[in-house]
Parts: sequence; structure tokens; C-alpha cells
Amino acid sequence: MGNVCEEHIFSSIFKDNSKTVFNYIYYKFGNEEKANDAVQEAFVKLWENCAKVAPEKARSYLYTVANNLYLNVIKAEKVRLKYADQHSNSINQESPEYVLEEKQFQKKLDDALDALPENQRTTFLLNRIDGKKYSEIAEMEGVSVKAIEKRMHLALKTLREQIDGI
Amino acid sequence: MQENYLAKWLNNELSEEELAEFKKSAEYASYQRIVDTSKGMKAPEFDVDQAWTSFRNANMEKEPKVLPLHPFKSFLRIAAVIAVLLAGSYFYLNSLDERYSTEFAQQTEIILPDASEVLLNAGSELSFNETNWEDNRNLVLDGEAYFKVAKGKRFTVSTAAGKVTVLGTQFNVESRKGFFEVTCYEGLVSVMYNGTTKKLPAGNSFIVINGEITQTKGIVAPVPSWTQNESSFKSIPLKYVLAEFERQFNMEVNIQNIDTEQLFTGTFNNTDINLALESISTPSQIRYKLGTDNVLFYAGNTP
Repeated sequence: MGNVCEEHIFSSIFKDNSKTVFNYIYYKFGNEEKANDAVQEAFVKLWENCAKVAPEKARSYLYTVANNLYLNVIKAEKVRLKYADQHSNSINQESPEYVLEEKQFQKKLDDALDALPENQRTTFLLNRIDGKKYSEIAEMEGVSVKAIEKRMHLALKTLREQIDGI
Repeated sequence: MQENYLAKWLNNELSEEELAEFKKSAEYASYQRIVDTSKGMKAPEFDVDQAWTSFRNANMEKEPKVLPLHPFKSFLRIAAVIAVLLAGSYFYLNSLDERYSTEFAQQTEIILPDASEVLLNAGSELSFNETNWEDNRNLVLDGEAYFKVAKGKRFTVSTAAGKVTVLGTQFNVESRKGFFEVTCYEGLVSVMYNGTTKKLPAGNSFIVINGEITQTKGIVAPVPSWTQNESSFKSIPLKYVLAEFERQFNMEVNIQNIDTEQLFTGTFNNTDINLALESISTPSQIRYKLGTDNVLFYAGNTP
């Protein structure tokens, strides 16, 4: 692999990672504007230091920078997530009661997610939405895979307790 | 059940027994539903291409930055070179001799560091070193100058012909090609010429023409006549008189059928050229023709 300062390499790093950086910051703070800014800021830092960062270290460098940007600076807002319309193909088979019940469950899950500690929510969403493996999340967060498994376990446990009203 | 089994379950890492046991539990259905529902979740829209375009416009449009590795080091390097050059030129300029010269038809007055005065006649050059002047009052003269020396240490005028040394007096030195004259107006002057030293009291002149030494007495003028805009001569070959005329008026002198070795005694005015020509030609019985920048002297009996 070449140097991060080479434009085609930098551009491919940008295209492969900017969306995840955006989501990562959004899951933490629930603020789209800040997530967009974080993408720009993190890549500016990477560009400025392109000679010092090896290509294989570029990813974790980006997440570290993005994370440090808003450390203790902004208060987390409500994380709002949309749901893909999974049932569009089979809409005729769904009873109105089922659709309503489904909507109610989504609302409960939303609220439960919002109530999760930031690191559990981020781990859960990176895995569920972005399909990141535990090892990849561990690299982004700078912790061990085992710590990510713990966060994931606790996230599921807390979500279920919230939803089931325990 | 192993540690973090929910995470293991999501990752399909449970053993068959564990999975069977988990599926039997009361919470299993809820977990399954959370996982299923969360599959359909989406993060807010993020346009990668737009983000890339705005990033590139803001940060990469210009040529890649080339940062010097040690900008301050190269600044220091330049500063050091400048400092060395400044210091060097300061000492160099200080060690250089002060140099004064006069063109034809020009006189200049120089005040030396010890307040001694020098009047430099036309077509002359004087140089001396200003540093250490108090201990070493040494001048080099080519031409003619009148010195009023302030009291102090030995004062030396070096010329191509000889050296003149005094302790504090007024004297005139003229050193031209084949001609060397020292006249003392006050005090005592010692003249070193050809290895011998001559003491020259006030009112005396020491003249060397073509290696022949003459000493004259009875100078009554308090200062050299040239400082009063007159050039005086006493038994001086005509060629030196004409050379002085050339210097005073910046005129090219041509001669025709004239014996320039004949001696001339007299004075000519340094400001009025017609008066000066009369003063030279009449006693010598020669004629002259004045051009714009030259004078032709020719024998009186030539038409």
C-alpha cells in the first residue's frame, strides 16, 4: 500500500470510511450536524498528518480524532433512527393490527436505545446497522474485543428489560 | 451459560446445547424480536460523494503543501551569514585607509582626527588610517599639501620621494614626478630623503629636482602661496611651472620649440587664466595661444 498523502489512496480511505465515521458520531451524540463536521474535521487531520499515518492505521486514527473532537463537549441528544419499510412486498398479508403493533414495538426500541449508555448504544448500532464485527468495533473504540462483547451483551439485556417493562 | 452469551448468540458462537437452552428461556422471544426489528433500522442519510467534494474543495484544491522540515533552522542559517557579513564588512571598512583626492583645478581641506589641518592642492591624493591615529600619525601623500599639525606625537608624511617628520608645525610638501619640495613655515621639520635626514627650520625649503638637492632660505610668506590662490616659483625649471599651470586650470599644455629646463622665478594667479598666462610668458619670453581646453606655448621668435 502506498502513502496516505497520495490523492487516490486518500480518496479511497475517505469513500470507505466517511459514512461509518458519520454514523459512529451520530450514534454517540444523536446530532447530524456534529456528525457531518466530525467527518470533515477527522479527514482534515488525517490529510495534514498524512505523512505520519500509515495507511493501515488510518482507520483507527480517524475514529480516535472524531471521538476526541466532541469528548465532553456536547451533550448527547436523542438518537433518531428510521426503519426501512421491510414489509412493502407483503403489505397485503399484514393486518392493520400487526402494523400498529409493529410500530409500537419500534417506538419502544427507540426509547430503550436512547436510554442506553452511549458506548453500549454505539456498539449495538454499529453491529446491527453497519454490520461491523466485534473486532472492528473494538479497533474503532480502542478497546478489547471482549469489552465490546460485554457492551453488546449488556445492551441487549438492558433493551429487553426496558421493552418488557421489567 | 458462558459470559456475554447474548453477544455470542448474535455472532453465532453459542454451542448447540447453549443455543437450545437459550431458546427455551422466557426472554428468548423478546431478544429475537429486538434483533429482528433492529435489522430494519437506518442511520440518517449521509452523502459520501458530496462530503468528498466539499472536503476536496476546502482542503485539496491547492497544490500539496510542501512544508520545510526546519523553517527556523534555515532562518538561523541566513541570519548567521548576514551577521558574519556585517561584522566582517564593519572590521574591513574600519581597517581601510581614509582616502582623499583632488581633481585638477580643485582644492580641498581635510581635518584630521587630532584636529590637524591639511589643505590638499589640485591633482593630489592623501590617505591615512583613522584607527590608532593618536599613536600613529602617518599619512601618505602623492601631490601637494600644506599641513598645520596639532601638537602631539610624531607626525609623518610619506611620499614616493621621501619622508617628512614633525612634532607640531606648519609645512608644505609637494611630491610630483621628478620633483620633491618641502617648505617649513613654523617650527622644525625633518626631511628624510635618500637615507639622509635634513633638519628644516622655519622659512626654509628643501627641493629635489631630478635627484638634485637645493635648499633655499628666506621664505617670508606665512603660508604657501597656493593656499592664497597663487603659485610661486623660485628658480624652478619651466616644465614644473607649466605642469602646475595644467593642474590649477585643468588645461592641456602643449609646447613648441621651448626649452622647458630654463629656470623660472615668479608667481601666477590660480583663478585668472589670462593673468596667469601673462605672468608665465612675459618673464620667460615665450608666446601662447589659448584654446577652449588647451594652451599652446611657443617660442617668442616663431611667427
